[in-house]
Amino acid sequence: MTRPTPVDLALGVLDHQLVDADGENCGKVDELELTGLDSASPEVVAILVGGTAWRTRGLLGRIASRFSGNAVHVPWSEVKSVSAVVELKRPAAELRLARGDDRWGKWTAKLPGGG
Amino acid sequence: MSLKSILAVALGILSAIGGFVDIGDIVFNVQAGATFGFQLLWAVVIGVIGIVVYSEMCGRVAAVAKRPVFDLVRERAGFGAGLTTLFASEVVNLMTCAAEVGGVAICLKLLAGLPYRLLIVVAVVALIVCAWRLPFEWIERVFGYLGLCLLVFAVAAIKLHPDWGEVGRGLVPGSHSGASTLVYLYFVVGLLGAAMTPYEVYFYSSGVVEDRWGPKDLRLNRVTAVIGYGLGGFLSFALMITAAMLFLPRGIDPELLGSPALAGGDTLGQIGLLLALVGILFAVGGAAIETCFSGAYNLAQFFGWRWGKFERPVRASRFTLSWLVIFALAMLVVMTGYDPVKLTEYAVIFSVVALPLTYLPILIVANDRTYMGSYTNGRVANAFGIAYLVIILAISVAAIPLMIVTNAGQG
Repeated sequence: MTRPTPVDLALGVLDHQLVDADGENCGKVDELELTGLDSASPEVVAILVGGTAWRTRGLLGRIASRFSGNAVHVPWSEVKSVSAVVELKRPAAELRLARGDDRWGKWTAKLPGGG
Repeated sequence: MSLKSILAVALGILSAIGGFVDIGDIVFNVQAGATFGFQLLWAVVIGVIGIVVYSEMCGRVAAVAKRPVFDLVRERAGFGAGLTTLFASEVVNLMTCAAEVGGVAICLKLLAGLPYRLLIVVAVVALIVCAWRLPFEWIERVFGYLGLCLLVFAVAAIKLHPDWGEVGRGLVPGSHSGASTLVYLYFVVGLLGAAMTPYEVYFYSSGVVEDRWGPKDLRLNRVTAVIGYGLGGFLSFALMITAAMLFLPRGIDPELLGSPALAGGDTLGQIGLLLALVGILFAVGGAAIETCFSGAYNLAQFFGWRWGKFERPVRASRFTLSWLVIFALAMLVVMTGYDPVKLTEYAVIFSVVALPLTYLPILIVANDRTYMGSYTNGRVANAFGIAYLVIILAISVAAIPLMIVTNAGQG
């Protein structure tokens, strides 16, 4: 077992940039999902990205979440490292992240020189 | 340092000087000069030191930790306060962008004499083509270098033979004459706001990431911030002195953007007028692209999208569409025919309100050793950083009440 490292979840993980295995931006850590809060060993099980993940982030988050889709759940086991950014083990597409950029990319590709 | 790297530094400084001045600086410096003569020069000095301190700091954070400003805002302010700042900054960016586009159209109108609304469309199309086709560094260079035509105002200021003793006294705050104290304070806030506009740090820090600067570029970062913005501040001086010499004695209220250009023509003839117009055209045009990109940078950095000019538009699609949409919205705003000078004043005053939440996260992260390591803020940077935070807080509280009670400086 590795030695425990102190990490302030609110400051050191939440709202940080997510970067996929190719080094590309793929969203923010919008919310964290924890289990076992009533047990001896609580655990972060997933990162929630986008949409309904904002529901718990204050009044503005609640309003913003009304206008967007479901959050994507990224299991914590997909996290490679935590530094200034949260690095993931796989490319964004495999984790269903950064889909907005891929979707809108079809439109920008049609512009002259946009491909 | 090799000759080539000295050249690169010199070119960077030149584009920073040319890129410093935007429509906010032109409007507030010229009006301050026309109303109070040299008495507000000190506010320019304070504003310029402020932007030097914070652009150096955000450039350092971006080079070392690879985090541009809105990344830090989201991370340190959290979702709610971050979203509020995002909303405020987007409104201000759009207003500023619209004002700059209006400025470009006015310059084109004075140069070409075609209808204003037609020239708004021409301006926006030309700016979009430049922003779309030119690589990032060429956008900075083309607009920065041609913006240097504004140096004609420095020549004009000297040729007008101001009383330099009087100019020197203007560098120290003191008693004032010309209009009421509230109007004087309104101009102080406006001049500080125009020099320290938040979009400058959004754009500068994102530019550092776009240019892929690392710790080895920190000297370049410091030199660009200190000398580039410092000398850019001299252009503000020149504008204020010229306005003080030409407009104050004749009681002219320079409420049209063409007035400062006429100042160039009045002292240096036709070529002076032409240089002044070209200088304003490119300084303001460059700022239009910067504000529009800042809007897209902020959105992308808040939501974690792929972003940057170096990315292909098909990859950073939401970023690309964002800046295209901002340009389109800015065009609609100026198309209403609302006076770009008035729009500028509102944009600068509202931007002051968004300043604290922009600058505070920069200061906090610049002090975070886990991010910055040996490049963490030293005592000097912190002393200045904290002093300016106090100034910013004060003016952000005073900005809107002053605008209301003085009827935007009309007294």
